[in-house]
Amino acid sequence: MWCFKPERIFPEAAFHFPDNWVKMATSITRTFGSLRIVARRSLKNAEVALNVRHPGPLFLPVRTKKRYFIPPAVGLKGKKEENPEAKARAAGIVFRQQYLERPINIACSAGVFDPYIPPEGDARLSTLSKEGLRQRTEQIRQSAASQLAIRKIKDYDSQFSTKTFAEQAQEIFIEAHNALTHFNKEKLHSLVTERCYPEMTRGNRYKTIRWRFVESLEPPRVVHARCPDMVTKGNLYGQVTVRMHSKQTVAIYDRFGRLMLGSEEQPKDVLEYLVIERHLVNPYSRWRLHGKIVPSWAPPKDPIIKTVAIPGPDLKPWEEFDAFNYEIPKPAAVQWNK
Amino acid sequence: MAATMSGRGVAFIRSIGGSLHLRLQVLGGASQQLSCLHTSVSLNEKHWEKNNRKVYPPQLPDEPRRPAEVYHSRRQIKYSKDKMWYLAKMIRGMSIDEAIAQLEFNDKKGAKVMREVLLEAQEMAVKNHNVEYKSNLYVAESFSGKGKYLKRIRYHGRGMFGIMDKVYCHYFVKLVEGLPPKPEERTGFDQAKEYVQGLKNRTIIHSL
Repeated sequence: MWCFKPERIFPEAAFHFPDNWVKMATSITRTFGSLRIVARRSLKNAEVALNVRHPGPLFLPVRTKKRYFIPPAVGLKGKKEENPEAKARAAGIVFRQQYLERPINIACSAGVFDPYIPPEGDARLSTLSKEGLRQRTEQIRQSAASQLAIRKIKDYDSQFSTKTFAEQAQEIFIEAHNALTHFNKEKLHSLVTERCYPEMTRGNRYKTIRWRFVESLEPPRVVHARCPDMVTKGNLYGQVTVRMHSKQTVAIYDRFGRLMLGSEEQPKDVLEYLVIERHLVNPYSRWRLHGKIVPSWAPPKDPIIKTVAIPGPDLKPWEEFDAFNYEIPKPAAVQWNK
Repeated sequence: MAATMSGRGVAFIRSIGGSLHLRLQVLGGASQQLSCLHTSVSLNEKHWEKNNRKVYPPQLPDEPRRPAEVYHSRRQIKYSKDKMWYLAKMIRGMSIDEAIAQLEFNDKKGAKVMREVLLEAQEMAVKNHNVEYKSNLYVAESFSGKGKYLKRIRYHGRGMFGIMDKVYCHYFVKLVEGLPPKPEERTGFDQAKEYVQGLKNRTIIHSL
């Protein structure tokens, strides 16, 4: 920066800078203080000697005020990076090839194929009555597809038998639920398929579950079997449905240890249709719990120990809500897979 | 088609693993069977939100019901922490409905943000933390903290400059289930009585 310096022309007008001035407050000419003194002295000598004044250049280069602090954001304002990718490559950084893919799980199938439709009134009739006997005789021998499926399973697993398998299925069920109460992830993954795992554990992260298998009221039996093949022909998965009637207690406590559902002392009779699956083609696969079938005629579950607000009907601005005549909508009785 | 475990299952495992540590401390003997897999907690969670992960052991039927606590916060609000403090102090100890109403009709900028935070916290409490009635909450703790400031130059005369701070603040709130506690009323008479009692308690120790 060039500046007009009056001190050079009128040296009497030059003023001294005291030493204890704060750096930030010093004026522009500080850096040239020493130079000026020297110049003045030389000028004085010259004056004494020759009485000649050499007017110096009127405009001198002068530094701007030195910024002792620059906020970090100032430099970045107008900066546009040319090509960070090229720079990285020049520097020698090599990026691994990115695969944009969605991981697919092959170890289990996506759902229950051709689900078993439990007959209405199952477990309501005693086995000894005529009706009960008739129901019992509707065994898997009746269904041809199930027989075919079981034969296919026996191709891959020679030791498969419907009689022993039902017991095995019940054991898998009990172990899986015990692992769930202790949140033992690895054990749970080995006993339960990947499709069933999130359904079992959803929402349970911060809850305490206490589950107990009291006794089995009827021996479990295999009621249904299917062998769907996925994607390619020959990629077989075996799905077997097992019917189980048992007594269980369940108590779920929320984050603060308060009871949310069920009770620990009162056992309940439970009739369940479990679907157990195995990837037959894989020699290291195991029979794992894949899901449950809830029949359409199943009794409603116990309510949770909490008052819940049911959303009311959509009203127009001029309508009023009639609490007396309003019927709470009930869910449709449809069989669904859990 | 084959099932996709992808994001959901993996996120579950990670999130379950993250909470395993806290559960290990709290759960009793049942935790012996847990596998001690050290999984990292997500990077976006700070300390205040981690309080929401604490799990208490189940209560016995004869114990008094433990009130639910919900922690919530908002970070980097463009407002001054000192100005936010006045609003936070105002709603301390109020029931949540009262607090929301007061903030709705307050003219400050921070009041709008604070109201949103309270509504979010209320919804979270009902959905995730098993709170039965959404009005049955009160503000137990509420305070503001300093956020990360941005620095700019403020130009003064004579080539001088100052560093201008663009202020940000955090706001933290803790809601507890139940009725708000009544503030203790101390009358002048009580205070005087305590003063006189203090005077009467004076004694000389280690004397003859």
